[in-house]
Amino acid sequence: MSTRILPEFDLLAPQSVTEALDLLATYKDRVTVMAGGTDVLVAMKSRFRTETVMILSGISGMDYIEYDATAGLRIGALATVGQLLDHADVKKKYRALWEAADIFATPQLRNTATVVGNLLRASPAGDCSCAIYAIGGKLLLQSKTGRREVDVDDLWLSYGVTARMANELAVELLLPAVGKDTRTAFQRVTRVNEDLAKLNMAVRLDMSGKICKTARVAMGCVGPTPRRLTGIEGQLEGREITEAVLQKAADTVASEISPIDDIRSTAEYRRDVAGVFLRRTIQQACAGAR
Amino acid sequence: MSKHAITLIVNGDEYTLNVPANRTLLEALREDVGLTDAKYGCGTGECGACTVLVDGTRAINACLTLAVAMDGKEITTAAGLAMDGVLHPVQQAFADKAAVQCGYCTPGMVLKTISLLAQNANPTEQEIRKGLEGNICRCTGYAKIVDAVQQAARTMNAETPARRAAGGNA
Ligand SMILES: Cc1cc2nc3c(=O)[nH]c(=O)nc-3n(C[C@H](O)[C@H](O)[C@H](O)COP(=O)(O)OP(=O)(O)OC[C@H]3O[C@@H](n4cnc5c(N)ncnc54)[C@H](O)[C@@H]3O)c2cc1C
Repeated sequence: MSTRILPEFDLLAPQSVTEALDLLATYKDRVTVMAGGTDVLVAMKSRFRTETVMILSGISGMDYIEYDATAGLRIGALATVGQLLDHADVKKKYRALWEAADIFATPQLRNTATVVGNLLRASPAGDCSCAIYAIGGKLLLQSKTGRREVDVDDLWLSYGVTARMANELAVELLLPAVGKDTRTAFQRVTRVNEDLAKLNMAVRLDMSGKICKTARVAMGCVGPTPRRLTGIEGQLEGREITEAVLQKAADTVASEISPIDDIRSTAEYRRDVAGVFLRRTIQQACAGAR
Repeated sequence: MSKHAITLIVNGDEYTLNVPANRTLLEALREDVGLTDAKYGCGTGECGACTVLVDGTRAINACLTLAVAMDGKEITTAAGLAMDGVLHPVQQAFADKAAVQCGYCTPGMVLKTISLLAQNANPTEQEIRKGLEGNICRCTGYAKIVDAVQQAARTMNAETPARRAAGGNA
């Protein structure tokens, strides 16, 4: 399957964002950006080939996670999944993301893998990606000619493909500030914890008393990119989350997803358990986790 | 392929190396520095045989790390743990509890334990098992490894004031 030996390539190691943007402007799609490298290096050890790799490890000051009650949560492009786990505001206010970080891979991987790299891998199984999709957020992309924000809703174009242009560097992920009426939760189905998801999902419910004002529901491994389940969101919004509402969501979710058979699971299994786990995730959010 | 001059501080000693772009940290340690205690297992970050510590207590997979990305960093391998011929308490615990069979996973397990205990000095059995995820042992069934981690935690907690006074870190 793989030789597990890295092929040859040229390496660029910029020491600043400016230098990285200059290099991207020159090399464009001939260079592969590498943050933690946990996806890029594994891919290179099997089939993926690239002339040039640009590592970001020499750039200081990009590994921050900062929370501000009005601005929200800012996650620098080199902040790792492990840093999410250690951050008290993430644990308290962005529960779904914290839970995704908690089950993510292994301690070694969490020390290396970046949150932004998880988004840009554009895998349908990305755990942080799923949680962030439910929470909502914007990715800040910078090039020599300017900056733009891409809403996470518009980030994934197809399997492994994002809206990032070849001359752009992702510099920061911004998650919105959340109030005390926002509840989020995340769940993942795997064979053993070190595996990638057979299925993952995350919900964000913005409550007004007992009524769910707005909902965002994301599910992974049920299509070529993480999916938002807008039909389910519509069933939850404007209602109290009663047993009947949960039952209907669980019963109808299979019609909103299009899973396939792959190495980790079958389409049939995924369709079968999606409802059960959706119900549990919504209940977990309602139970007070935020 | 590009070549790069880098410096690694391995177990306290500084090494200036000229490595090709595709050199992994694991290869640099084994081939260039000459330390073979970090092992090659799966090559893709799943088994943990290649575990090393960066900056004292942060465990990473050396097989999934480019040597160039570690330029200037302090790396600890299991060979750097014993001080003046005295085993580190974690090593001693693995020996005492016979938490070893073929030994291939052991350097990684020991380093991972140090990293775990640095974050959580009194882990429960469940926390130990979760903390050791990413380090696979195909011989022992893990029971003795868990025992060893518990013993190491006890010794290190008892020793901490003395070690601090002696200027020891890990
Ligand atoms: C053993 C193992 C277990 C894993 N388990 C999980 C798991 O449980 N859950 C999960 O979701 N994933 C898992 N992964 C996948 C991987 O670790 C994650 O996707 C990780 O978050 C990727 O981050 P990285 O920094 O390593 O990305 P990299 O490999 O460096 O990059 C990933 C992609 O993002 C691009 N990129 C990264 N940063 C930037 C930037 N700043 N600007 C532009 N482009 C950029 C790269 O070009 C590449 O396309 C696992 C991987 C391994 C090897």
